[in-house]
Amino acid sequence: MAGILVIAEQRRGELRPVSLELIAAAQELRQGGDSVAVAILGPEPQEFVAALTVAGVDEIVTIRTEVPEFDPDTFEAAAGALIAERRPAVVLVAHSVDSFGYAAALAARQGFGFASDVFKVERIDGELVATRGGYGQKVSVELDFPGRSTVLLCLRANMWKAPDPGASPNVTAFAAPAAPSRAAGRSFVEVSAADDVDMTAAEFILTIGRGVGEEAKIPQFRELADAVGATLGCSRPIADAGWLPKSRQVGQSGKTASNCQLYIAMGVSGAIQHLAGMKHVSTIVAVNSDPGASIFGVARYGIVGDIFEIAEELRKSF
Amino acid sequence: MKILVAVKQVAALEEDFEIRADGRGIDPDFLVRDLNEWDDFSLEEAVKIKEAATDPIEVVVVSVGPDEVDESLRKCLAKGADRAIRVWDDAVEGSDPVAIARILAAVAAHEAPDLLFAGVQSSDQSFAATGIATAGLLGWPHGAVVANLQYSPGAKSAVFRRELEGGLLHEVEIQCPAVLTIQAGINTPRYASLRSIKQAAARPIEVKSIADFRLDATQVGESGSLSRVRRMYVPEKGRAQLIEGSPAEQAARLAAIIREFKGVA
Amino acid sequence: MDAVTRILFEAFPTAEIRFFYAIGYTAIGIFGYGVYVQLRKYRRGAGLALEGGLWRRFGTMSASVLNHRTIARRDQAAGGAHRLIFYGFALLFLGTSTITLQYDILEPLFGIRFWNGAFYLWFSLVLDIAGVMLVAGLVFMMVRRGWMKLPKLDYARPDRNPGDPDFDRPQYRREDWAFLWILVIIGCTGYILEAARLVWLQDRPDVWDTRWWSPVGAAIAELMRVSGLTPAAGGALRHALWWFHGLIALVLIALIPWTKGKHIFTAAASLMVRDPLAAQRLPRIPDSQQLPGVTSITDFTWKQLLHLDACTKCGRCHDACPARTVGAPLSPRDVILSLRELANSTLQAATLPDVVALDAHGKAPGQVAMETLWSCRTCMACVEICPVAVEHVPIIVQMRRKLVEEGQMEPLLQKTLQTIAKSGNSFGESKRKRSAWTKALPFPVRDARKEPVDLLWFVGDYASFDPRNQKVSQTFATLLQEAGVDFGILHDGESNAGNDIRRVGEEGLYEMLATSNISALQSAQFNSIVTTDPHSFNTIRNEYPDFGGKFTIAHYTTTLEELLAAGRLQVTKPLGYRVTFHDPCHLGRFNKGYEAPRGILKAIGCELIEMGRCRANSFCCGAGGGRIWIPDPVGSEKPAQNRMREAAAIEGLEVYVVSCPKDLTMFEDALKTTGNEGKFVVKELIELVREAVAPPLAAPAPSVVTS
Repeated sequence: MAGILVIAEQRRGELRPVSLELIAAAQELRQGGDSVAVAILGPEPQEFVAALTVAGVDEIVTIRTEVPEFDPDTFEAAAGALIAERRPAVVLVAHSVDSFGYAAALAARQGFGFASDVFKVERIDGELVATRGGYGQKVSVELDFPGRSTVLLCLRANMWKAPDPGASPNVTAFAAPAAPSRAAGRSFVEVSAADDVDMTAAEFILTIGRGVGEEAKIPQFRELADAVGATLGCSRPIADAGWLPKSRQVGQSGKTASNCQLYIAMGVSGAIQHLAGMKHVSTIVAVNSDPGASIFGVARYGIVGDIFEIAEELRKSF
Repeated sequence: MKILVAVKQVAALEEDFEIRADGRGIDPDFLVRDLNEWDDFSLEEAVKIKEAATDPIEVVVVSVGPDEVDESLRKCLAKGADRAIRVWDDAVEGSDPVAIARILAAVAAHEAPDLLFAGVQSSDQSFAATGIATAGLLGWPHGAVVANLQYSPGAKSAVFRRELEGGLLHEVEIQCPAVLTIQAGINTPRYASLRSIKQAAARPIEVKSIADFRLDATQVGESGSLSRVRRMYVPEKGRAQLIEGSPAEQAARLAAIIREFKGVA
Repeated sequence: MDAVTRILFEAFPTAEIRFFYAIGYTAIGIFGYGVYVQLRKYRRGAGLALEGGLWRRFGTMSASVLNHRTIARRDQAAGGAHRLIFYGFALLFLGTSTITLQYDILEPLFGIRFWNGAFYLWFSLVLDIAGVMLVAGLVFMMVRRGWMKLPKLDYARPDRNPGDPDFDRPQYRREDWAFLWILVIIGCTGYILEAARLVWLQDRPDVWDTRWWSPVGAAIAELMRVSGLTPAAGGALRHALWWFHGLIALVLIALIPWTKGKHIFTAAASLMVRDPLAAQRLPRIPDSQQLPGVTSITDFTWKQLLHLDACTKCGRCHDACPARTVGAPLSPRDVILSLRELANSTLQAATLPDVVALDAHGKAPGQVAMETLWSCRTCMACVEICPVAVEHVPIIVQMRRKLVEEGQMEPLLQKTLQTIAKSGNSFGESKRKRSAWTKALPFPVRDARKEPVDLLWFVGDYASFDPRNQKVSQTFATLLQEAGVDFGILHDGESNAGNDIRRVGEEGLYEMLATSNISALQSAQFNSIVTTDPHSFNTIRNEYPDFGGKFTIAHYTTTLEELLAAGRLQVTKPLGYRVTFHDPCHLGRFNKGYEAPRGILKAIGCELIEMGRCRANSFCCGAGGGRIWIPDPVGSEKPAQNRMREAAAIEGLEVYVVSCPKDLTMFEDALKTTGNEGKFVVKELIELVREAVAPPLAAPAPSVVTS
């Protein structure tokens, strides 16, 4: 058998949007009579069938788990069993914290072809080719998987557009084998917010990064954000240093600013973990003194200059 | 009681780097090497556990790489590691994370630690796979993206919190021995003065070959990898439209963009 | 006439004389024991071999003590008053010794007598004058201390909080006043005693007729007689006062090693063991030392413990310190005094207490806090002004070494050290980019490692990587080129010279940088070095020789002055600006390079108005000692701002001239933040020279920001 298997992600009863992006990516890899199946694991997996009914999905496989949330042993056993039965040519999961917990282990034990943080997939002469970044995203690397009948790929979020609703897939249930869970999830913990800012609701965000240099220089940007009517955000290093509360952190581990439409990044280099949170924003303006900063690769507008000077000048206009 | 910490010496690209003639790698002249940023945190976590414990704990660092990796291992010794192991064989060249994991798993099986730490990912290739692949090959319980860890040395389980997207934490209880990949920001890595690094230079590093762990060339390098590099290239540069002019002019254009946005929104 | 003299112990019963001698010897004994305790304390410190011959040192010290210039600097009044006290006391002491010499040694053993006749009379006069000098000086000091309310005599300290046990130090004030009063009382009772004797012996012509050779005593004697004092009463008064005066004096002598009085010896000794290159050339870590730097008070050398004892709490260092001036928790005076308290409480005991009690780091009385140590800019204003040669900066740096080893520093500083260890510069740029600034020049800059040059230019970090300073480097290159100088640089063979790394206390990293630079320099061919960076200048000149690199090096101001004087650069447009010059710490105070910049300013036709704090008293911009890599507390004034305000007070000032890359960075920032932008500009001296000399044939291309 061949075909493409997508393993969707859900958390706390909500389907994670990246799941749909995986389905879109799967379409690009169809060849011959390939079918695309989407597996969803959870205590009540059938609740996600409607959300997963999008164009390009031929089958939805529900897998009931004993554990309420992600658990590496459970997911590895279930996915492993499903793959062993179906023998898909390609398995697509998200490059996410959950899959960090099990995908590489699964691939290593089963000998699947494997690549992570893949942002482009294609077939060249029928061969699967996955492209990812290298050396801090400064180069692109094309990988292939000679001799591997099944290839497991972890795909980067926000690189594919979710398909529209549609299609009428088959819905089947798969009985996963019992697997003792050696790492049992206990509870979720919200990061306490020092101020009640809600990054997820903000439409206009002004983010500061390492370029700010020292804590004493932050008030200038706080003022600027207030003046222009933006919510002040920061990149990981600023939050780690405690200069701004974690609630202000934007990026992969920070809040996903899903409603943001205008994003001004000052002194942010554009490390991939930060960009992961911001790719969907329609207008990104980057201000950085380093013309080689990665963020200029994703921004719509760029200013190469001193962030303090620009901030000062900008402040004058408001 | 022993904690094994797997570390990687990563490579950053110099400004004017060049792709190798075969198009599948970087000319080594342009690589600047340093200890992986995440490994500073995982080593610090191990040393903190050692220092807080009443009974002696041995912290062992292991890395796969050629001679130049010794420099990073010395830094680890200076920061509190007790022993350092380096594994290398020419056959290891071209290994992907899983081939490396195979070697690390063999070392771990031999050392039999109570915990195995690795960084969540490396700053150069960011696969975020090596640690967990090692766990899979060992068959050990594992957890990734550990932002907080509570562990009593020798205990049968540990409690950790994994850092999820959006700033949420998920608390997990894991059976030990276990493999944990450690997230940056979990602690504040200590400073290793150059003097202490120099003094560490006098301490031995155990250099092993893959044969010492009963591995052969087919299990490492390209043959042992789950992917193959077809081509490495420099992608087209960014698409950002650069706003030129004096700072005042640039700021004025930016102000116009903001106003336009607010007028619409 | 049987030569006139004074009969000692006249009319004293023998028992009394013996009693007096017993007390005298006891006092000397206590004094001796006190000296022993002090010496034992110093010996409990680490060992150190002094450089330079002891006789030479003795000579230099004697000259300093005799001319009192170090005490008169920046406080002529105190200098003058102390000269009076010193010379007065010295003469009186010499006088008493002279009497003892005859009475106790020469006369009984050899029958020699000289203290009589004319000698005796002149002796009496001189000593009377000496007494006046002494008392006058002391009275002035009392007025100074009690009424003039000088800031430097305020013992309020910035490194402790109200409520800390050693925040207020009343015991210091008590001792200061007690010392002054006792000396004044000794002096005054001496005169009254003298007068009483005259009244008592008024019927003896050889005493009474020669009384005006002791003018003060004679005048008081007149007053006494006029108020009805009889000879008998005079005799009784004399007897009583003799004992009073004698006992107090002997008590004073006995207590010298236990009180402020010890500064008589410790100040002189401190001057004698001084290191003339104290802050400019820091000591290496001895190989034998396990943990780098100073942890316990016993890790200090005997010399440093001696310096601690020499401090007289004059407060000049407290006054001069730029960190203290802007409210940082550092006063060099209080660092020394705290450590002295620790040394005294632990090292003067019969047995040495355990190592915990000896810890010099912390916030308890006698200890120095981390925040205090990290506030220091290593500008050496304290070392430079100290009248008794206390060396504060090496003490602070050696304590920092321990903090660095333990990683106890600001995260930003830690990151910078790691960056420098990796890339050899504080900007984190690739080594290859170090000479990228030369690409904008219309001519290539030679690589001194590849071809021999006459002058090697050591550029430095900031001048290589900071955009504003890159412009200055480019300008300097064009000047050298036009002057026909055969020069080259080390390109990517150059690393951070290490001056500030060493002063942060990362000695291991400093050694790595110095060794690398020395190796690069030794592989290059050149006759001498010039540098545009005073920090690099200091360390290459003074510290590299300790690491095997001895080079001839000049700061660019010397080179440019020579080029101008020799006509190789011609001033075609005298500028006529009204300027002030900021002496960079590492060029001026550290290496006495005050004249060359002023010579240049004159040659290019600028009108120089000096700021109050200029030359040796120049006020540090605040970037030294690694502080440029440590964030300043939010809301406090920065030293550069304080300095800018000083400059802004100059009427009609047009240009604030600097000659150091860090100064340029700090002051351009301060110009804006103190609201002086638009009133005057900050310019590097090189840029002014460029304006004044003939323009180059082709204008240099716009400078690169980064490349």
